[in-house]
Amino acid sequence: MFSLPLAVESEPLAAQKLFELGGLGMTNSMVFGLVVAVFTLALLGLAAARSQTRPRSRLAFYMESLVDGIFGVAIDSFNDRKKALMHLPFLVTLFTFIFISNLSGLLPGVGTIHADVNGHAVPLLRAFTTDLNATLALAILTIGLVQFYAIRELGILGHLKHYFTDKPWKPINLFIGVNEVFGELLRIVTLSMRLFGVIYAGEVLITTIALLSGNFAWFATLPVIFLEIFFSAIQAYVFMMLTTTYLAIATSHGEHQESNGGKIKLQTAN
Amino acid sequence: MENVDPLLIKGLAIGLGAIGPAIGVGLIGAAAVGAIGRNPEVQGRILSTAFIMAGLVDAVLAFVLLIVFTTGQ
Repeated sequence: MFSLPLAVESEPLAAQKLFELGGLGMTNSMVFGLVVAVFTLALLGLAAARSQTRPRSRLAFYMESLVDGIFGVAIDSFNDRKKALMHLPFLVTLFTFIFISNLSGLLPGVGTIHADVNGHAVPLLRAFTTDLNATLALAILTIGLVQFYAIRELGILGHLKHYFTDKPWKPINLFIGVNEVFGELLRIVTLSMRLFGVIYAGEVLITTIALLSGNFAWFATLPVIFLEIFFSAIQAYVFMMLTTTYLAIATSHGEHQESNGGKIKLQTAN
Repeated sequence: MENVDPLLIKGLAIGLGAIGPAIGVGLIGAAAVGAIGRNPEVQGRILSTAFIMAGLVDAVLAFVLLIVFTTGQ
């Protein structure tokens, strides 16, 4: 009987260890993640170095358009130009790094070139975001930064008031506060699982369709690869957008004054 | 129940798991088209919000695919 070729054999759920570096096992996703990080740094640094009032370099122009787009989104979310400018570097880095990491899994040679590790064939390169450890690290870093900025902006008491309101001794407020703290922990899980799930499932989908279609793999995987490019951009954007929203909610003072003041400021700024 | 084909279960998982995200994406699309029809001048902002929501909903289908592909026979 016809049986579905299992893609599990070609791409396992966990990243595999390539070599040891001072007691720390370096996996293939970590190696490629470092490569992508250096590439992202070089790209942004080169664009920043070539940035002019009237950019002649094409790279600087495209990167400036990207940064400007993210800045507009951040201003819309924060309702405050200064705050958006403060968090802009982190948001731009997040978007660029996640987007390039997602796309790097589609490059030819990634996952197909194997290295010999103790007699086992291990893929030499693996996209950074197809490893749950990587996305979990990104999510923990993001939520940790959100907590840090919230405490720096409002103080520890003010930050706790976000969860437990002004009167924590009332049972209903206590219950809601515990729920909110649990929701904060759940954000780490959803942020990491969403990114990992979409990108990893996409990679496995390409492998499975290539195995199913046999000789016509080059034709059958083409639309899926375009879908993957689209999802890479969407997921990077969603991760950045959710970070912006979490930051905006956590660092806001009272509800009413902030939104009114922000609107007036936005009008004068434009 | 022992001799149920695992392929049947996999197919059912994909089929049943796709119902929810399909309804969700459909609702998002309907709402986005309706909103653009009402005020076409903010089409860009409506579309970007709609894409974010579609990305959030698609993650559910990705979980289903993940579970189906990573469970062996």
